[in-house]
Amino acid sequence: MNETSPYIGFEEYSEHVPTSIPLAVQQATGRFVSGRAARVAELPQWEELRQIGSDIRQHTIENMDGYLTHLEAAVLSAGGHVHWAESGEDARQIVLQIAKENKVKSVVKSKSMATEEIHLNRALEAAGIESLETDLGEYIIQLAGTGPSHIIVPAVHLTKEEIAVLFSKHLGIDAPNDPIELARIARETLREKFLSAEMGISGGNFLIAETGTLVMVTNEGNGRMCTTMPDIHVAVVGIDKVIPDWDSLTVFLKLLARSATGQKLSTYTQFITGPRHAEGEGGPKEFHLVLLDNGRSKILKDPVGRDVLKCIRCGACANVCPVYKNVGGFAYGSFISGPIGAILSPQMLGTQAARELPFASTLCGACADVCPVKIPIPTILRHLRRRVSQGDEFSKPTLSTSIRVTASLASFALAQNWLYRFGTRVLPTFMSIFKRGNWISNAPYPLSRWTKARPLPSFTASFRNWWKKEKDSTK
Amino acid sequence: MTNPILENIRKSLGRTDQISSPQGAPLSLRPAIYQPRQPESVESEIETFLNEIKKLSGIGQKLSPDGIDFALETLITDQNIRTATVWQTPHLRQLGVTEILNSFNIKLISPNADKHEMAQCDLGITEADFLLPETGTLALYSSTEKPRAVSLLPRIHLAIVRPEILRADMHQVFAEAKNSNYLVFITGPSRTADIELTVTLGVHGPKNLYVWVII
Repeated sequence: MNETSPYIGFEEYSEHVPTSIPLAVQQATGRFVSGRAARVAELPQWEELRQIGSDIRQHTIENMDGYLTHLEAAVLSAGGHVHWAESGEDARQIVLQIAKENKVKSVVKSKSMATEEIHLNRALEAAGIESLETDLGEYIIQLAGTGPSHIIVPAVHLTKEEIAVLFSKHLGIDAPNDPIELARIARETLREKFLSAEMGISGGNFLIAETGTLVMVTNEGNGRMCTTMPDIHVAVVGIDKVIPDWDSLTVFLKLLARSATGQKLSTYTQFITGPRHAEGEGGPKEFHLVLLDNGRSKILKDPVGRDVLKCIRCGACANVCPVYKNVGGFAYGSFISGPIGAILSPQMLGTQAARELPFASTLCGACADVCPVKIPIPTILRHLRRRVSQGDEFSKPTLSTSIRVTASLASFALAQNWLYRFGTRVLPTFMSIFKRGNWISNAPYPLSRWTKARPLPSFTASFRNWWKKEKDSTK
Repeated sequence: MTNPILENIRKSLGRTDQISSPQGAPLSLRPAIYQPRQPESVESEIETFLNEIKKLSGIGQKLSPDGIDFALETLITDQNIRTATVWQTPHLRQLGVTEILNSFNIKLISPNADKHEMAQCDLGITEADFLLPETGTLALYSSTEKPRAVSLLPRIHLAIVRPEILRADMHQVFAEAKNSNYLVFITGPSRTADIELTVTLGVHGPKNLYVWVII
């Protein structure tokens, strides 16, 4: 997959972010951050819960082989089908095959990161199968033909006016600029689709090894529709979603919604173990679980990087990230954005395609403070920066030669006392050419990378000289 | 029979031993979890539960069995109910729910009816199998008598529940429910904030959730 992944130009994108994106994104993140804070304050054992959550996830990824073996046996004995997909292409072929065998013409989808990861919609449509996103936000961005700007509210960058125009164009109606009316229109349009689709495709939040149970968390009810109305249910889930048992689940359910949206629990949590038992109860007659590897088993090999697989996809790290809040989700060029995207994409897509992402961070550490399963994101960012710049056992260095040469020259110069002193004397004189008042607003390359965004204060004195003077004057 | 994904995982984790039997996997070794929440008095648990339902924009109340008649009449008028579908359970039968609906000339649709017909239904009436007071959550199984669609397709969902099904924490629910093929937690009416973060109820599931605790 490394060879085919398109290059993610974070820097180039972030230089041209439309101002509407950070404005909209910050309204969402602001709300989620305060919601989370209120829920956390209610729960005196929050830190204990985080530690337990972290311990269980750590334990699970370190024993993933055993738990997946358990899970497979349990799903089979519940009457479900299990498919193993080594790559995205494998997973797409498995889903297409199930669709073909059942003569499926239309599919309803509930929101799923795993199906975004493997671009399933494109593959279904190429095979002549209609595939409709049914989460309201996902439906809107599918109509708009863009990616998500936020993991929980993917269409937050669009205004109600823009959404009304989209609805009017695609549905052939005159849609009003009113969020409640627009939601009603989506309800009616999608209701028809839920009732007529032959296949429902979902992701999954957790897989319980103990009983082979798929756990799905949603708010709108579209997840229930997709897994209740059509006769076939296909769940595409990453192998990292496995957890040991139901008692572990209580920990993650308490952590997930509080961290994601500031709810105590999301509106609907479904626990699905195999297909329906009787036609009268409703639900699908066939249940297929597609277990997606797509590079995860390789990530497991790196004892530092593999902690990314503990993630439960709450998005709390993005909500507090000063970089994410200013560039939004598109900049990360992948199905997952924010700090977690910055440590997942380089490992999943390779440090060739995603080499800029580990640097898309100030290393302030806010992400690690809120992570419900205590993923040490800044540590992994530094680990991946080293991989990009120096290479390690998993990858050759991928930083451009000019930056690497500049960096090693700088590192050499900073380590030589005399050269450093010389520099501090020469540089202010040299830079004074570019001075306007007390500011430098168009410095030469590479400093221009800074000054085109904001001016630098001009150099006044070296710290060494200042310190020497201070010391002398106080004697 | 080798599975390449499991092989890769074992290689990555540096496993040298073969797991002798798949069922020998370390289920019991997972780290200990926290102390579950302890129940309070039934009255106080009901109060907590109804309070949470209210915070979620649901409509909850305590009712005596005699009060159902009047409460249903009010609901039918308030929400302009013409059609309804009801779970076929002993408890709801004992309360005479279908008879009361008949007496108000409500058209009853079988809970096992075709999904298109069910989608036209105004009101779906269920029980619940468990209640979680801390989060205001209803937990529902499914079976032929308790079809999944009744709490999903009609625009209004009414759950008529008994205090006996209160559980203090998720642990108790999961201990009892883990071997069922389907369970759903319902915590408030269907909601979204996907358009300009405006909270909208009833985007795909029911727009209103009524919960009556019968005491």
